[in-house]
This record gives sequence, structure tokens and C-alpha cells, in this order.
Amino acid sequence: MSRVLTYAKAINEALFQSMERDASVFILGEDVAKMGGDFGITQGISYKWPDRIFDTALSESAILGLSNGAALCGLRPVPEIMFADFLGVCYDQLVNNAAKLRFMFQGKAGAPITVRAVQGAGIRCAYHHSACVESWFMNTPGLVVVSPSSPYEAKGMLNAAIRNDNPVIFLEHKLLYNTKGEVPEEYYEVPLYEAEVEREGSDVTIIGLQITLPMAHAAAKQLEKKGVSCEIIDLRTVAPYDKETLKASVAKTGRLVIAQEGPRCGGWAAELSAMISEDLFEYLRAPIKRVTSLDVPIAFAPALEDFVLPKTEQIVAACEALMEY
Amino acid sequence: MALAKERLLKVYKDMFMIRRFEEVIQEYAANGTIPGFVHLSIGQEACQAGVVEALQRTDYKFPDHRGHGAIALCGTDPKLVMAEIFAKATGINGGRGGSMHVNDLEYRNMGFNGIQGSTMVTCLGTAFASVYNKTKDVTAVFLGDGTLGEGACHESLNLAATWKLPVLYCLVNNQYAISTNYHDAHPQQELKTWGEGYEIPSCRIDGNDVEAVIETVEVAAEHARNGEGPALIEMMTYRWQGHFAGDPAAYRPEEEVAAWKAKDPVKKTRGDLMQKHGFSEEALTAIEAGIEADIAEMLRFSLESPAPKIEEALTFVYADREVEA
Ligand SMILES: Cc1ncc(C[n+]2csc(CCOP(=O)(O)OP(=O)(O)O)c2C)c(N)n1
Ligand SMILES: [Mg+2]
Repeated sequence: MSRVLTYAKAINEALFQSMERDASVFILGEDVAKMGGDFGITQGISYKWPDRIFDTALSESAILGLSNGAALCGLRPVPEIMFADFLGVCYDQLVNNAAKLRFMFQGKAGAPITVRAVQGAGIRCAYHHSACVESWFMNTPGLVVVSPSSPYEAKGMLNAAIRNDNPVIFLEHKLLYNTKGEVPEEYYEVPLYEAEVEREGSDVTIIGLQITLPMAHAAAKQLEKKGVSCEIIDLRTVAPYDKETLKASVAKTGRLVIAQEGPRCGGWAAELSAMISEDLFEYLRAPIKRVTSLDVPIAFAPALEDFVLPKTEQIVAACEALMEY
Repeated sequence: MALAKERLLKVYKDMFMIRRFEEVIQEYAANGTIPGFVHLSIGQEACQAGVVEALQRTDYKFPDHRGHGAIALCGTDPKLVMAEIFAKATGINGGRGGSMHVNDLEYRNMGFNGIQGSTMVTCLGTAFASVYNKTKDVTAVFLGDGTLGEGACHESLNLAATWKLPVLYCLVNNQYAISTNYHDAHPQQELKTWGEGYEIPSCRIDGNDVEAVIETVEVAAEHARNGEGPALIEMMTYRWQGHFAGDPAAYRPEEEVAAWKAKDPVKKTRGDLMQKHGFSEEALTAIEAGIEADIAEMLRFSLESPAPKIEEALTFVYADREVEA
């Protein structure tokens, strides 16, 4: 049975169901227990399992350090870092510890932690509360980075992330929390490492993630009227990403636009672009185009923030440029 | 030792100004005119005004996220501070920072970093520079009871104590970090013991008593100026509002809020002016009316100022080159 839930509620439900099925799962973070999280995502859990959810001091390094250590002992921590920007404070625990523990212990143990954090611009909170951080981590082998885009994905991918034996950075987008969609009631998983073709088309492939997906769909509708058929792919897992799905699509369309929130230089779009041009050069009918945020910090004033973020019109223009190439 | 009449009147005006300033911010955040998050310092005026009053213009000040009061008293024209919070081009930082990031080098307001604990280590550098350059300027850093949980705080206390850096740790203990009471985050009854652990002269004072704040900070600043090293001052107070404007703060008992409202620092100072220094009700009302007029002018200025031009989003990213749009 499925019903309509918000993205926020879908994540909350995944936490409940994962905790239900596995007693080694526990939660820690700032204001997660008594208050139920700064964005309300862990609400209700402390009533059901007061001994499995913990409010910490403001101590991101300790939150992730404890998680890594507990994971080595067979527990499955699901720490919350209030804003993804704060992952900078505990970067070492992710990049030099979680990512490498399995390698270090020759596979006898690892860090099956799922770090939840909220990312993204759009709520006028300036340069320390607005980053999209996938690219901070995708250059680190051993880390899994996922960014769900719908309530269905959010629940299914969080369940899969918690059961996965790797350290997973699970990035929720703050502008998506109130979006609604069909979500099955029962426990289910959406597999990691698999992108999804959301719309089939034959002329241009658009790869998007989180808030650039609705833009891609809006662009596709406009382009359809002009006779351009767009295929839209939701990347879902950013690292390690699904080469096969991406390649199959671009081999068919011969044109690729990648729509990414976050600075252009060194972003995940750059990696996808490099991979496609290396592996699929002879299939491409036009250069690959990226639509991204500008290479600047996010400013506070709404006009400044809006100016630097990717937009539907830019996706439309990029697709048109490829068609005319 | 009590403050002289004129000086107490001056800080009363400061406190009254920031109370009204914050109430205006609260109103315009609630009605949606001010974007983003604002953290109000209503109830904490004695800490804000007292610390700034005890410092020199050339001393370095690191306000925290709840720092509108200190920021507006450092010497910057308060209407430029208000305009910044309103995201306007006329704001002291051109609208790029907003409530959490107001800074003004001219008055050595070194700004806040939205990442808690971060300024706790940056402040070592300004203190170091004073020593290195053989000036007598001290550095005052504001932090909350919750922020003390960040590992950076330990690094800061340790280094400042060992190197005898002129840092004043102005620890505003308003007893909560969002929903978490300081007793649930730290084992100590009194947080001043954090300083004592590093052999830093430390004390706990009534943070709603502006005379106590000024006197304590002045003594500490004098010591620091003379090369005797850092001090930690734990100021006991309470934030009347939620963590951010709009937070209902359901995690706090109503009686507790009421008890602290009864210890209103602005009212207390007003009472002292009347009882100890013979000010009449009429005299104070007239003074307050003058401040109300100033506030009305700041508000008019903030509302009527234009939004920043979008090209501003691309400025000041690099020292020596432009960013492409
Ligand atoms: C590194 C980091 N962790 C968490 C936060 C989110 N956050 C902002 S203020 C705050 C509570 C701070 O409490 P305290 O230091 O007591 O200051 P108060 O808000 O009470 O003035 C939290 C958790 C942050 N901004 N940065
Ligand atoms: Mg506090």
C-alpha cells in the first residue's frame, strides 16, 4: 500500500523502519532526540526508543568519531550533522577515517555509518548554510555519496544506505523536505549506485539531481513543443555513480546536458562529463554542456543567491545549443 | 565598585537601543521582510552592551550568531547594520552576509562564522597579531554554552593559555543550545571550569548585571593588555526568544522563561538609574523616545534602501581576478 508523504516524513519513516528491523541501528546528533531534529526529521523516535537516539553537545568530530568507532564494533550508527556545511568540522573523520577503515583492516571491518545532513541553497542563509557538498567527498575512494530527489527515493535509499556496509553520506535537500509523492508503507529499498531514467527521449540526455530535476522536466516540456525530445536521468548516487545507465542514454541521444547545483569547477558534473567524453567520444554529436551554480560562495540577499543558482532557462538554452551545433 | 552615573546612563541607552533594535528585527522577520534566519539577543543585552563598553575601539571583537547587539554597538552606524540584516545594498556588507555575518573591519568587528567554534580559533590569530606587532589590543570572542562543545574551543583555550595570548572568552551562558540544556551537554556545573582546566583565570558572573559585566571584562582586558594572558568570563543569562526568530521553543518550561523575564537586564539598569542615581521617570522616558526615533529612522532607511545589484554576487571571491558569470 502506498500513500502520499512528504520527503521529510519519508525519511522519518525509513529511520523508524530501519531501527525496527535492526537493533544495532542508533542515532546521534545535535537536538535529534528531545526536539526531533532541527528540521524535524527524527521526530518521535525518542518516544519509541529512548535508548537508541542521543542528543550530543555541539561536537561534530565526536559525533562522527564515535560513529566510526561504534561501527567497527558492529553497530550501525546513523549520525545527523545539522547542516552539510558543518561536515567541514568533521571532514577528517569522513575522509581519513570512515573512507579508509575497510582498506586499513583488510576488509575484516569497516565503517557502515550513514551520515545524514541537509544541503543546498535557496533559504537565504548565506555562505555557511547553503552548500551542496557531494563534490567535497567524491574525490575520496571508499565513501558513498547519495542525494535522493523524491520522497520515494528518500525512504528507499535511506533504508539501503543504513543496510549498506560502506560509509554513506546521505544528503537531503532542504528545499525538498515539503515536496510530496507516493511512498509505500512497508519497508523497501531503492538500490544504491543506480541512476534512474525518469523520462525517455531521443535527442538530448539531461542528467540532474535533487532540485535540478524539476528544472530538467520543465525544460523538457518547453523543448518538446519545439520538437526536441529530452531524456532525463536522476543520478541518485553521486559516488560511485552508475556509468552504465548514463552511457546507454548518451549512446542513444548523442547529446548531454548535466544540471548540477553547486560550483562548476570540480563539481560532479565535471566528473560525469570527463567520463562520457573519454568513453563515448565517437557517439557525441555535440560537446557536453554543464548548467551549474556559479563559482562563488552563496550570498545572503535573495537576488544575489538566485542569480548564482542554475535555472530552467539555462537548461533549455543548453539543449537548444546542442541541437543547433 | 559601581559605575559613574553618566556611564551607566550610556550603557542603559545602548541596552535600550539593542532591545528595540531586536524587537524590530523580530517583527520584520516574522512578517517575511527579512529573509533567512535571525537569532535574537533579547534578554542578553547586558552581556552584549557590557562587553563592548569595556573594550576599546581598536580591540578585536568576534560577535557570535546572536550578536546583533554587540555588532550594533561596536561603532558601525547601526542603520548600516540593520540594512545588512534586511539584505540591502546599503548594508555594511552590501547584503552579502545578513544577520549571521555582519562585520566591519573599521571598528574591528571581525564578523561571525556560521560554523560554531570557528571564530574560537580565528580569534587566536588577531590576539597573536597584537602581540607580534607589539600593540596593546586585546581580542574578545563571544561564544555560547553550546558552542563550548566544539573541539576547536579546547584547542583555542590551550594555545591561548600556553602562549599567554590576549584573548577574552566571553562565554554567554544562556543555558541552551537550541533545545539542549547545558547540563545535558557538559558534565560541569559551572562552565567557567573549562577555563580553569587550562589555568586561565575564569569566573562566573550575573550576565544580566551590566555593571558586573563591564567591571569584570575591564579587569580581564587590563590583564590581557599587560601580557598576562587570556581570561574566561561566564555570563549567566537567558534568551527570551526561541533559538531563531519563529522557533516556538517548546523545549523550555514556561515557568523558567517567566522567571528569567522577571530578571530583565534592561529594566534592572533602568531601575538602578532611578533608585541609585535619581533619574526621574520623565527624564528616562524622554531619552527612550529619542532612541525610538533613531530606531524608526534605521527602519525607514532599511526598508527604503535598494536590494544589491546581482553582479555583486561575483565580487570579492579572489584578490586578483574576476569570476566569470
Ligand atoms: C559547527 C556547527 N554546528 C552546529 C551549528 C548549528 N547551531 C547554530 S547555533 C547552535 C546552538 C548554539 O548554542 P550556544 O553556543 O549555546 O549559543 P546560543 O544559540 O544559545 O546563543 C547550533 C547547534 C552550527 N552553526 N555550526
Ligand atoms: Mg546557549
